Amino acid sequence: MAAPDLLDPKTATHNTKPRLSFSTKSITLTPREESEVVATVMKRKTVTAIFLLIVLYLVMGAAVFRSLEQPHESAQRLAILTQKLDFLAKHSCVNHSQLEDLVKQVVSAIRSGVNPAGTLTNPSSLWDLSSAFFFAGTVITTIGFGNISPHTEGGRIFCIVYALLGIPLFGFLLAGVGDQLGTIFAKIIARVEKMFAHWDISQTKIRVISTLLFVLFGCLLFVALPAAIFQHIEGWSALESLYFVVITLTTIGFGDFVAGGSEIEYLDYYKPVVWFWILVGLAYFAAILSMIGDWLRVISRRTKEEVGEIRAHAAEWTANVSAELKETRRRVSVEIYDKFQRAASIKRKLSSELGFSPTPELALSRRTVSANHSEEREKSDKEAGLPGLASQLTRNCGLFMNGLDLERGDMAVVEHIK
Amino acid sequence: MNPLGRSWLLLSGFVLFYVIYLLFGGLVFSSLERPVEEQLRRDVDALKRRFLNQSCVSAAALEHFVGQVLAANRYGVAVYPNASNWDLTSAMFFANTLVTTVGYGHTTPLSDAGKLFSVAYAVLGVPFTMLVLTACVQRLMRPLVAAPLRLLRRCGLDARPAAGVHFLALLALVLLCLFAAPAAVFGVVEGGWSFLDGFYFCFISLCTIGLGDLVPAAKPGQRFKQLYQVAVMVYLFVGLMMMYLLLRTFHKMADLHGLTAYLQLPRCEESDHDDDREPIVENGQSAATHKRPSYNSISER
Repeated sequence: MAAPDLLDPKTATHNTKPRLSFSTKSITLTPREESEVVATVMKRKTVTAIFLLIVLYLVMGAAVFRSLEQPHESAQRLAILTQKLDFLAKHSCVNHSQLEDLVKQVVSAIRSGVNPAGTLTNPSSLWDLSSAFFFAGTVITTIGFGNISPHTEGGRIFCIVYALLGIPLFGFLLAGVGDQLGTIFAKIIARVEKMFAHWDISQTKIRVISTLLFVLFGCLLFVALPAAIFQHIEGWSALESLYFVVITLTTIGFGDFVAGGSEIEYLDYYKPVVWFWILVGLAYFAAILSMIGDWLRVISRRTKEEVGEIRAHAAEWTANVSAELKETRRRVSVEIYDKFQRAASIKRKLSSELGFSPTPELALSRRTVSANHSEEREKSDKEAGLPGLASQLTRNCGLFMNGLDLERGDMAVVEHIK
Repeated sequence: MNPLGRSWLLLSGFVLFYVIYLLFGGLVFSSLERPVEEQLRRDVDALKRRFLNQSCVSAAALEHFVGQVLAANRYGVAVYPNASNWDLTSAMFFANTLVTTVGYGHTTPLSDAGKLFSVAYAVLGVPFTMLVLTACVQRLMRPLVAAPLRLLRRCGLDARPAAGVHFLALLALVLLCLFAAPAAVFGVVEGGWSFLDGFYFCFISLCTIGLGDLVPAAKPGQRFKQLYQVAVMVYLFVGLMMMYLLLRTFHKMADLHGLTAYLQLPRCEESDHDDDREPIVENGQSAATHKRPSYNSISER
């Protein structure tokens, strides 16, 4: 089953995942403790038993469907025949409304699953045993072609109950088949790896090559070969056969093309062989689709990683930038402290010259660090003049100097680190 | 952003991409199929006109005509006027049935290019859809399963009965909200459907069988057809999610009650990391037995 076996407990058993693959679990034998070995590969006997059970289930379902649907079908067929005879009896110029009537009747007949065209003398029922078996198969594999479908109330109710039980059952079978497929594949891989062991090729390369071979070989066996056979027997084009194969094996199952659904004379064993092919092909496709799902997940994870890397780079960059900004701020505040100190010394000089009381030590907030006094700056500050400097200081220092208020003259005592 | 927020963002990204993928598929199908559909419809019209011109109807002509109608209907071409199967919402609906593998078949691609595209679209879209569904279900597990279980345990129930009660409650909820209610709605909106028909449709769709004998929004002259189709698509997605959730809950409960061990099936793995798989290489294997690599392990290296 590719996706849809949602009623299938097997799908839920594999990890947390999308449960397309049944065969992966078989290969990972993970005994948790010595006492509790959970065998994840189904024994061959179990698989055969389940297979026989399923065949029995299908036969039973086919018999029930046939008994429910065939009477209804014959009644419909009779009604349509009568209608057509009436129409023929008229055989005059048809008017528009009569024609539309005819069309509507034909369409509703088709919707009821009856083919109103063709030779009515040779009624091939849509519900003979082999077709009913096929229908039951399409139900429990969840393919659901729909070229045949139940129309009676009883048939529909039975279909629901049948599917409820049959889908999980088929899921188990599919799991078993998938396990067997996976085991075969793993054995082949192991042998190939042993062969190439002394050639010293990396394990990854071997696995990649073996996956490609698996995909190729499986496509050949389960897709290309059946497509060619269908092309020959059913008379479809190559594209139509391929389309049918893919639509069937992914369990989408439109029903526009159905192997064994046309008016051709089929060999007796044709339909059972088709059903068997569907079974094995489903397991193969489940593996392929699960692989694609894995790759998508890996891609998404790698994308996440790359996005994470990008984000890490961005974080680094912003950290660098903010560090630089801090550095710049620090330097600027140091310069301002510088100028402030010089202004203070100038003020002291002036006040001592003019005879004022000495003002308390001008100090700066803790945040500013080393002050770099240079003779040239002192000179330039003197030239700039004190009032301008003071106003500039008040403007610039508001941010950087806590507790400093030039108007009031309160100063916070601070360390002066050279 | 904390990990939880990030995972929600990723999930919504997933869902958004899923919607975009559907839109894209709808557009491509629409552009591929409509010309062919128009041509087929014109052929049917010409045939009808020729039929009308005949003064007398012969059996052969009638059969031929009926066969033509049959062929047209089999391909899903609406025989009634003013109804296209490939306008945007219908094509999206078709794409949705493709990637969820329901596959009704009431509309199918007619052109060769359409068929080829369907194949490619499905092979990529089906695993992707399952990925999205699983991711959504994992997010849902916490509020819908873990939290009620904790609540039940706090009320004094043991692990096993709590799991059983919770599963039954979830089952009843799903039956009511996803089967009974939509069935009633379909019975009202779709003229000819009974309640059983609606229920049957819901079941067949949510199991992804999709027979296609009953398809909503397929009647000619359906009012609000686009809105209806979008609503059905949403219903399908939510329904599939809930079915999967139900399945996982059942499996966990079976684990607790020892059913899975009894039937020798693998346990339901408990993992909140949606990106990690089990290690492929097992530690318990001796050197004598071959390591059994999984072809899926390639993605891990």
